[in-house]
Amino acid sequence: MIKISQLEKIYRTEEVETIALNKLNMEVNDGEFVAVMGPSGCGKSTLLNILGLLDDPDAGSFMFNNIEVAHFNERKRADLRKHNIGFVFQSFNLIDELTVFENVELPLIYTGVKSADRKKRVEAVLDKVQIMHRRNHYPQQLSGGQQQRVAVARAVVNNPKLILADEPTGNLDSSNGNEVMQLLTELNEQGTTIVMVTHSEHDARYSHRIIRMLDGQTVTQNILI
Amino acid sequence: MLKNYLKVAFRNLWRHRIFSFINIMGLTVGLTAFFLIFMYVKFELSYDSFHPNADRIYRVVCDLKTPTETINADGPSWAIAPHIKNDFPEIESAIRYTNASLLVRKGDIKFQEDNTLFADSAFFHVFGFKLLKGNPATVLKDKFSIVLTETAAKKYFGKTNPIGQTVLLTDGNFPSTITGIMEDMPENSIVKADMLVSMTTLTEDFNKGIDDQWGNYGNRTYLLLKPGTSAKALQAKLPAFLEKRNGDEMKKFQMYPTLFLEPLRDVYLRSTRDGSKTGNITNVYIFSIVAVFILLIACFNFVNLTTARSTERAKEVGIRKVVGAGKFQLARQFIGESIILCLIAFILSVIFSALLLPLFNQLSGKIISHNIFSHPAYLLLLFLTSIAIGILAGIYPALVLSSFQPVTVLKGRFATGVKGILLRKGLVVTQFTISIALIIATIVVYNQMNFMRSQDLGFNKDQKLILDTHGDSSKTALMQKVSTLPGVLSTSMSGSVPGGGNPGAYSQVENTKGEMQIANLDLYFVDYDYIPQYKMKIIAGRAFSRDFGSDTTQAMIVNEAAMKMFGYTTPQQIIGKKFDQWGRKGMIIGVVKDFHFRSLQEVIKPLSLRIEPNGCSLITANVSPKNLPSTIASIENAWKTMIPNRPFSYYFLDEFFDKQYRSEDRFGRLFLNFAVLAIFISCLGLLGLASYSTMQRTKEIGVRKVMGASVSNIVNLLSKDFLRLVLISFVIAGPLAWYFMNKWLHGFAYRTNVSWWIFVAAGITALLIALLTVSFQAIKAAVANPVNSLRSE
Repeated sequence: MIKISQLEKIYRTEEVETIALNKLNMEVNDGEFVAVMGPSGCGKSTLLNILGLLDDPDAGSFMFNNIEVAHFNERKRADLRKHNIGFVFQSFNLIDELTVFENVELPLIYTGVKSADRKKRVEAVLDKVQIMHRRNHYPQQLSGGQQQRVAVARAVVNNPKLILADEPTGNLDSSNGNEVMQLLTELNEQGTTIVMVTHSEHDARYSHRIIRMLDGQTVTQNILI
Repeated sequence: MLKNYLKVAFRNLWRHRIFSFINIMGLTVGLTAFFLIFMYVKFELSYDSFHPNADRIYRVVCDLKTPTETINADGPSWAIAPHIKNDFPEIESAIRYTNASLLVRKGDIKFQEDNTLFADSAFFHVFGFKLLKGNPATVLKDKFSIVLTETAAKKYFGKTNPIGQTVLLTDGNFPSTITGIMEDMPENSIVKADMLVSMTTLTEDFNKGIDDQWGNYGNRTYLLLKPGTSAKALQAKLPAFLEKRNGDEMKKFQMYPTLFLEPLRDVYLRSTRDGSKTGNITNVYIFSIVAVFILLIACFNFVNLTTARSTERAKEVGIRKVVGAGKFQLARQFIGESIILCLIAFILSVIFSALLLPLFNQLSGKIISHNIFSHPAYLLLLFLTSIAIGILAGIYPALVLSSFQPVTVLKGRFATGVKGILLRKGLVVTQFTISIALIIATIVVYNQMNFMRSQDLGFNKDQKLILDTHGDSSKTALMQKVSTLPGVLSTSMSGSVPGGGNPGAYSQVENTKGEMQIANLDLYFVDYDYIPQYKMKIIAGRAFSRDFGSDTTQAMIVNEAAMKMFGYTTPQQIIGKKFDQWGRKGMIIGVVKDFHFRSLQEVIKPLSLRIEPNGCSLITANVSPKNLPSTIASIENAWKTMIPNRPFSYYFLDEFFDKQYRSEDRFGRLFLNFAVLAIFISCLGLLGLASYSTMQRTKEIGVRKVMGASVSNIVNLLSKDFLRLVLISFVIAGPLAWYFMNKWLHGFAYRTNVSWWIFVAAGITALLIALLTVSFQAIKAAVANPVNSLRSE
């Protein structure tokens, strides 16, 4: 599904040049659950942003489903993104002004799904993450674990092929964290590819494979299964 | 998708209630002010366009050239209208009217009809006034025919049919017949009357032969041209017409009239011949500009507050982009929100306008409109304006917001760009420039009004009660009676009082070369007591005196302006020179110091004063301020016994004189109100911006406080930036206001300077208001506990 080679990303300010990704090579297969680990500043988040088509690389190749996307413009990236990729963030990133239902509905609106259809699909996915009873609440009225379950629901409502999770348990206590990890595992078992950035060795153990990064490069790969 | 946008929009509005309020309020106030001024301007522009033939109606006005001067008279000679039609087939109708005040009696009911016109019979053919009863072709044909307005008719006849009924005119010798009833004349008409009397009443009875008096000027003449006629071409042929008809007389009297045709619709706003009685196109322009400015200020607020808030919306934008929103979809969402805000403001401003309309009518001194809902087209325009503002003001924030990169905003690595800040500062500067300029303008207007009121007029206008006897035969007896009443200090009788009208007379005065020089002199008929009573100053010669019997027929006093016009450099030189005026010949016996017999907008014109009991009808009574009501009651009593046929009325000279400044007064009041509004909206914007900038700097403030900054340090830090903006605005506004207000002042012959203190006052006012607005937020932020602000990071 993902094949990255010689990928470079450099951040420049007037005086400092920071190499975030240094000729990075990496591959993720369909249906895999990959954890990316490494110390702060090693380039994990930059990698995730590029994988999620939120950011573009300065050099190198990024094949997504056998299509070279490294030089896509913003519109094309947005288009590809909304049909193929779901995001889960550490800080949930739900829209405060929208209810649980409306937050989850949002991706379907932007992909142009009909209203009746949307309702069915949102309810199904809310059911799946067991948050149906809170569908008319606003994010602030929920616990962190519940908010993250909503965020996961939003990430999968469009049936994306790939879910990118950026420290999904970082703001949660361990029992809520485990619930969310359980949820991601289930999704993976149903066929969704997952790439997750994490600091937690415990969470990383839910994955099939751990990629460790340092200074913008992959250093080791542990295969867990 | 729309539903989703609407939901977010309304929830956002509600969550940030205060800012929504500021935003919507600013827009509402701006739209309301804009709408009211728009209605006012539309009204001013609508004058006389209701006549179906408005495009073909022209007013004939006339310049009079004497060997001494050129006078811009308004009315041409009485003989023009009766004769012009015969010479020019392109003229469909020519009519005259002239103003009069007539006593009308019907049994015990009597009114002095001050708004009476003698009008030619084609009046209703030329003008589009609606006749409710009577035949338009004949109602004004026979002498002693009267057409009343609906309202006037009710005074005399109640619900009975007035047609064919008889009323008595003047002192009762002239029974006249009501031949027609017309609709009340609309407010936006330069022709205004409560009663029309057939012109034949004058030409065949009161003033026989006036139809052929080429040297008698001063009536109003209107032409209805046949379709397709060029007024310009016609005007070019008029000198030949005058020459042919009246050439000999023109040469004999050395009075050369030139006729001009003014399109009817231009008369109200563009003609300069009616002084301050009519509208003024400059004021219309000024108000239009003010309206646009206020709208601009409101729009700037809107842009400012919305972009300032973009930091808060950034997260939402980021999330929406991550889940698949395109730039265009986001831009559409934000423009949509902006339109919603504008629509709310639109609805509110319609409500406000409807509520404020009566007040605005009062402020502008006339009924602009009874009901805003009777102008659906105006409301539609306001609606479209609101939508347009929504789109225009929404575009910039929408572009800023929709171009946020989700990576940066979601990671919290977000800072507002320098460009956005610059734009916002620029908008604030523009707002305050406009506001300060308006403050300066308001002060200048008020200063000038004050100047005109306090200026030494050259006569005393205090405690003078004026009675208009309309030339009643008992006027002298009445004056004698009034002069004996307790509380009345002195009396005099004259034909004119300052601030009112006076005749202009064909005159010849001996000039420095010993020739009799022809000129048109303004003329005051007075009595012996008038000059001392008005405390006018005689600077050479003497005032009229009972000691000189010949003063009643052979003496004239002139003012300094007249003295100079005839070439004399010192007042003594003109004493003893000969005059010949309206059949009286004699000597100039004195020179009176120039006094303002018209408003201070006009230069003091050459004036002559003569004793002429027949020409006097106004009694001036100097009354003591003590027991004024009882004095007035006893004067009324005297009136009722001596002139029982006429209804009693009086006015005070000071108020009467100041009435000339009514339109300037209104102008000043409207200006003041809109300046306050502009400041208010600008401050709303400043308040919003200040609170956002303090919010953004919460962490900085916390850190500074931990490092030991005092409350005043912080307030200073936060206010400084905004005050600098106000100062920049002041630097721009000052010269602009100076330039335009100097231009405005040039409309006054006697005026104040735009002095430096006005700028200082305006600058300090703006600075204080801004400081108050900003420091409110700054103090709030400065006294907050730094622990809270730092913990939130």
